[in-house]
Amino acid sequence: MECYSLLRTDVPDLIDHLGAYGEIVAPHSKGDVSYSFEVVQDSNKVVLDYDRTLLPLKKMFLPPQEKLMDFSLKSLSYTPIKLHIKPRVFFAIHSYEMQSILRLDHSMLSGQAESNYLRRRKKSRFIGISFKPDEFHFSESVGIPIEEMEGFDLYLNEVDGDYQLYVLTKNGHSLIEGFEKIKTAEPEIAEDRKFNKKIRFHYNRLPQVFQYAYHSEIWAEVASRCVGCGSCTLTCPTCFCFDVKDEVTVTAESGMRQRSWDSCMLSTFAEIAGGENFREKTINRTRHRLYRKFKYITDEEGLPWCVGCGRCTAFCPAEISLPDILNDLINEDEKAQHHHQVMA
Amino acid sequence: MKRIQDVSEEEIKDLYYPTMCKVTKARQITSMEKWYELEMPASQDLGHGPGQFVEVSAFGIGEAPISISSSPSQKGSFELCIRQVGTLTNVLKNYGEGDSIGIRGPFGTGYPMESLLGKDILIIAGGIGLVPLRSLIHYVLDKREEFGRLIILYGAKNPSELLFKEELSDWEARDDVELHLTVDQADDTWTGNTGVITTLIPELDLNLNMTIAAITGPPIMYKFVIMSLKSKQLQDDHIYVSLERRMKCGVGKCGHCQINGVYCCQDGPVFNYSDIKPLREAL
Ligand SMILES: Cc1cc2nc3c(=O)[nH]c(=O)nc-3n(C[C@H](O)[C@H](O)[C@H](O)COP(=O)(O)OP(=O)(O)OC[C@H]3O[C@@H](n4cnc5c(N)ncnc54)[C@H](O)[C@@H]3O)c2cc1C
Ligand code: SF4
Ligand code: SF4
Ligand code: FES
Repeated sequence: MECYSLLRTDVPDLIDHLGAYGEIVAPHSKGDVSYSFEVVQDSNKVVLDYDRTLLPLKKMFLPPQEKLMDFSLKSLSYTPIKLHIKPRVFFAIHSYEMQSILRLDHSMLSGQAESNYLRRRKKSRFIGISFKPDEFHFSESVGIPIEEMEGFDLYLNEVDGDYQLYVLTKNGHSLIEGFEKIKTAEPEIAEDRKFNKKIRFHYNRLPQVFQYAYHSEIWAEVASRCVGCGSCTLTCPTCFCFDVKDEVTVTAESGMRQRSWDSCMLSTFAEIAGGENFREKTINRTRHRLYRKFKYITDEEGLPWCVGCGRCTAFCPAEISLPDILNDLINEDEKAQHHHQVMA
Repeated sequence: MKRIQDVSEEEIKDLYYPTMCKVTKARQITSMEKWYELEMPASQDLGHGPGQFVEVSAFGIGEAPISISSSPSQKGSFELCIRQVGTLTNVLKNYGEGDSIGIRGPFGTGYPMESLLGKDILIIAGGIGLVPLRSLIHYVLDKREEFGRLIILYGAKNPSELLFKEELSDWEARDDVELHLTVDQADDTWTGNTGVITTLIPELDLNLNMTIAAITGPPIMYKFVIMSLKSKQLQDDHIYVSLERRMKCGVGKCGHCQINGVYCCQDGPVFNYSDIKPLREAL
């Protein structure tokens, strides 16, 4: 693995250099406290130290709203949308975010591949960056250390305020070709960056906990606080559910079919005509969301489908904490095990 | 895990564009249901199996999953039967002969026809559940000698809601079909059985090793029908159910149809009962 040193003050020049490959998307400040992935106009505006963006990077591959077709109600015919995707570089991406894209790949490409997702994804390059965990990050507990480099072409590791640049792929190598402000360096260990939030069990024990947690009373307790706003799923980088709706112009002659992000936390998500609702109560929906993250897909793929970004907790208006739910389930599981042993 | 490297851009097939099909015949067959015969462009075959469904488009409204009601052995056209229950299905009511309807599919997993060969087929249909099962019934009738007995239990709320009445009389008249009808509420014209569909089950004389049951009906029906079949000692893996869920895409992407960890639009809508029995949210 090639390793270079890069001064923090030279990062904007690196970003400008990467512009030769294509459009650059990077974190930007949004208001005082929030961050957002945006297309870079001015490389000096890119934020290198950020906790998390409000919307995850998935928005660049599965846009919150996307037109699927135009149609005419006069001729009852439609025109497909032709996507023209520029090559894109995603810059200053945290490891959990990259891992969420690898999980989305699986969700969107298994079975029949999602064509628009695939088109947006194919020409993408990813440049990772280290971060300092805050009170919400717990990615290490789901098997994703800060320096997890899978998926990245290049990775920027902060050491004493400046960076070490790791070249991880051939594509990464060609991205920095001709960039002169880097010097060959020996990889150094960064200062200790500790996670404040932890899940008490190793993540590979969680499916076992969930195996017996279906009837836990914890679900009802959590559901009683949840207001059903759907923020947790909309900000989750591995959630992908969508709705499809037609919109008609005022003249009612034409319109478009559009898909938009949807949320299994919304009450009508599983409702069918006639009023039958397969997840009618909040408790059904809360439980389903967590089983999707730690049991159903995990049983098949061997990985938690939560990447520990902390968004669902940080942005929940009811202060419902996902790691706290997990730790409560774990405590309950341990108590049951203990009880079992005493009885035996 | 499926990885991006595993999929090439050449493989891209757009998933959300419907094929426009011509309505060749259409008839309102009850006060709530309309039947349609459709043709694919250039006389293509839809290529479905019994139990599969299509997504039907009405521009300006959206799409709805609708079962294919005809048998794959019928070439050149296929049939749908749609109950008018809401916005989209009521718009489809206005479509008739000569109109075009957008179709995506066929989607989903239907009945495993290979493993049904030679078996006694026990159809248990409640209400609109006859629509998807009709594809299986016609398939068996078209290849009659390849199957054992064909037993059809069909229940509706009242006599006027019975679908495909002419076909019911045809089946009644055949001696290679055992048809048992029931209605919840009889009227003056009704001379047959009255009561819910489970009342037809106890008197059935089944060859347990040979019998495959296929059940489709309103959500509430499944538990009771399965209980009755179990009390006749029919094995779990001899029972198939077809489940309805909200569906938006039909191709395993939108998430709406999830039943615990399975996708109704991909793994179903037809499930072997032994596969979904452990799922807490299936029935
Ligand atoms: C696999 C499958 C096969 C089906 N086969 C048939 C059939 O052969 N004949 C028939 O009459 N009906 C069938 N249905 C039911 C049919 O899809 C619904 O009645 C129809 O979607 C109702 O749409 P609507 O706009 O008229 O109702 P509304 O109540 O106005 O619909 C409101 C919203 O709910 C959604 N919605 C409601 N019910 C369903 C549903 N079951 N699945 C997905 N979305 C739903 C609609 O998309 C819409 O967004 C089937 C359903 C499934 C899942
Ligand atoms: S963000 Fe919080 S309140 Fe909103 S749906 Fe999710 S858990 Fe419930
Ligand atoms: S479940 Fe919460 S912590 Fe996990 S990936 Fe989704 S938003 Fe992040
Ligand atoms: S209908 Fe969209 S995932 Fe099944």
